[in-house]
Amino acid sequence: MRVNIAVRVLTGAATLVALSSGAATAASIEYVQIAVPSPIEAVRWYTEHMECEPSETQPDSADCHGVEIVFGVAPTMGGTQGTGVNHIGFSFPDLEAKMRELEAVGVGGAGVRLQRFEDGSTFRDVPGLFKLGFIFDPWGTRIELVEDPDYPGFHQIHLSSADPSATLAWYRDVLGGVPARLRGQLDGLLFDDIWLLVSQHEQGVPAPTEGRTLDHLGFVVEDMDTVATDMREKQVMFEQAPAVPGNGRSGASRAFVAGPDNVRVAVVETGWGGIVPVQAAMTEYPEESAPYTVPRTPWDAPDLQGIWTGDAAHGIPLERPVDAAEDAALTPEEAAARRERGTLRSIWGYEREWRDTTLGFAKDDPSTQVAMIVDPPDGRLPPLTPEGEAQIAAAQNVQPGLPAGPEDLSSWVRCITRGLPEMMLPRVYNNGLQIVQSPGFVAVQKEMIHETRVIPTDGRPHLGPNLTQWLGDSRGWWEGDTLVVEVRNFNGKYSYRGSGENMTLIERYTRTGPDTLRYEFTVDDPTIWTAPWTGMFTFGRDDDQYELVEYACHEGNYGMTNILSGARAEEREQAAQQ
Amino acid sequence: MKNALYRVLKAGSPVLVAALLAVGHAVAQQADGEFARAWDGHPDLNGIWQAIGTAHWDIQDHPASAGPRELGAIGAVPPGQGVVVGNEIPYQPWALERKQRNFENRHTDDPEIKCYMPGVPRATYLPYPFQIIQGTGKIMIVYGFADANRTIHMDKTNPEPAPIDSWMGRSHGRWDGDTLVVEAAGFNGQAWFDRAGNFASDSLRVIERYTPLTPDALMYEATIEDPNVFTRPWTMRMPLYRRLEEHAQVLEFKCVEFSEGILYDHLRRQPAG
Repeated sequence: MRVNIAVRVLTGAATLVALSSGAATAASIEYVQIAVPSPIEAVRWYTEHMECEPSETQPDSADCHGVEIVFGVAPTMGGTQGTGVNHIGFSFPDLEAKMRELEAVGVGGAGVRLQRFEDGSTFRDVPGLFKLGFIFDPWGTRIELVEDPDYPGFHQIHLSSADPSATLAWYRDVLGGVPARLRGQLDGLLFDDIWLLVSQHEQGVPAPTEGRTLDHLGFVVEDMDTVATDMREKQVMFEQAPAVPGNGRSGASRAFVAGPDNVRVAVVETGWGGIVPVQAAMTEYPEESAPYTVPRTPWDAPDLQGIWTGDAAHGIPLERPVDAAEDAALTPEEAAARRERGTLRSIWGYEREWRDTTLGFAKDDPSTQVAMIVDPPDGRLPPLTPEGEAQIAAAQNVQPGLPAGPEDLSSWVRCITRGLPEMMLPRVYNNGLQIVQSPGFVAVQKEMIHETRVIPTDGRPHLGPNLTQWLGDSRGWWEGDTLVVEVRNFNGKYSYRGSGENMTLIERYTRTGPDTLRYEFTVDDPTIWTAPWTGMFTFGRDDDQYELVEYACHEGNYGMTNILSGARAEEREQAAQQ
Repeated sequence: MKNALYRVLKAGSPVLVAALLAVGHAVAQQADGEFARAWDGHPDLNGIWQAIGTAHWDIQDHPASAGPRELGAIGAVPPGQGVVVGNEIPYQPWALERKQRNFENRHTDDPEIKCYMPGVPRATYLPYPFQIIQGTGKIMIVYGFADANRTIHMDKTNPEPAPIDSWMGRSHGRWDGDTLVVEAAGFNGQAWFDRAGNFASDSLRVIERYTPLTPDALMYEATIEDPNVFTRPWTMRMPLYRRLEEHAQVLEFKCVEFSEGILYDHLRRQPAG
């Protein structure tokens, strides 16, 4: 998905006369187009952290200090790194306070990634210029923050060029930027009150912006015909001739031209209102309205075999959010936004493009289910028992400290298990589920940590009570087309939300359509909860292109080595300070 | 030949079995038909199986030897007749040196000690049971050790290259008469064959043959091809036995927690002073 950041100059309509410019018109910077998966989340981020305001007219845009930022939707091939647009910039009155604020936000979730200077500081005061620092938005757009009271708000677009003076000349001659020196130090162009600056590209030729998070820059002109003629005379290459797009929100025309440094440049006519984003097909897996006949194996058991993934269900919270107490389902837009939030929250440290591909299968098709818990009907966990309250209070009182050894870390970090029911629940990657059946057995394999449960359905008794396991002991039977599994004999070394060795888990696997497998799980731990509770979500079938890959978790657990050696290093440092 | 072999196994005469195996012929493709058949008429390999022997210690002939002193007789290596046909592993000279180095460093370098996935064919003859789940289109093998498992694709007529190298490789299977033939490749080259340091590289290709002998025994053959390590292909062969205990079950052996001492003790917080 792709978000356009359209920067529309809303301040005075004064068209500056382009001094010493041969351009047919003085264009204004209209927008910067940035790709993100969820416009709602992007508008939220820029509103919260860059002090923009949601656009009153377009749901996919934000007004930033007189500049409008429009967001559209498309897959991206990474952030701004290495492209012809090095960064965009905003100016704040008190940079130190702003940086402190952003630092406190942290990188978790739709957070803020600070690009620190070598000494660890978040900003520096450049003599003769101003205070400045760098951050990234969650989608990989580099942003410079400055303290420049002369140009508050949206401050600059900073290009990266193999030949900066030629680039400046191009934007001056073709688009009518006004040559100026920022603080008398940096050569640039002014488009109204927005700076276009150019730095020397470090090595070789910049990578194309097209397809990256910051896809292109948009300039607005009053008279498209005149400008286009002028551009053609100046040998500007049109990637797309001026035309009114079919999905345009207004009758204004748009053209794409190849700017210097592989920067994609759009030129739009006054009155441009953006385009209506292509609606991704955001439909819930359809549960068949007609009764679905579940296929049967040759030995006449319901056939659950195949490769399934929980990708579409990623992001569904266990409990119903309080502010969604009455909602039957999310809108597709809300579901996309929740998915994006979940993705960001889960694996901030990974590259954006990797995060997108991991959930690639259902990225455009996230579940609109409000919460997993379907019983109790309010979607919330039942009240705790006194013992449960005491246990959870005790767990919360544990002071988080540096791990002495592996046993201080979770069984997931240790690559032992994600436990039940957690191992069945969707996370941000490796959600594959493969089912193979033989007469009397159902093998259920989850991709993450490569755990396989072989579930007998032949009526045999449970293991003896002294034989406990991390994943307990599963016994299954068929109720109509539903595989019902009872799991007990847990060893209690893993806990799901407080559950322990007394938990009994009942799972129900039901094919509800050719491509849907409903998974219900009832957690009953009378030590912890006053009543059993049930969650539900749907796996989607993906036999065609999904293959579970070997998740050699423990074999490649560099994380454990790094966590422990980091803890020891920190302790040595603390000891040295004392 | 096949009937003789069958009778020998029934009679349980290891000497004769060894003598027969030493002949080196591939095991009969059409077995006696006393074993169960699956829905599609092929042999029914479903069940829990286990190798019995000492191949997990050393796939070649080996006399008894001492283990870690503090474990006494429990830690000693029992003697065993090898499972390598002809007993010789045709290592290239550099690889033989490497094998010897592996042997010397086996108490620290053996992936089994670290609870790493055992690879193929080692997973088959580790001293733990494994379960075959013979589905329609796929056969899954779930091993007792380290949560290792394989999916054998029976539904792909053209073998596909492994998407990534892995410990357990990628397996394609087909029926040759009553023998399940599995070709496995795409290995990462980190697995060993046994606790004696026998090994292969990431160019390893294993052709396995599972042939039913009786209702409760299979003959297992694994032909090893690795032009980077060996001078020619070679084969190991051993029977696999059905676990006949009532309600036999492959239990969870999540050995990670038992390997953490070896792997991470040097990073553990040391007691003060």
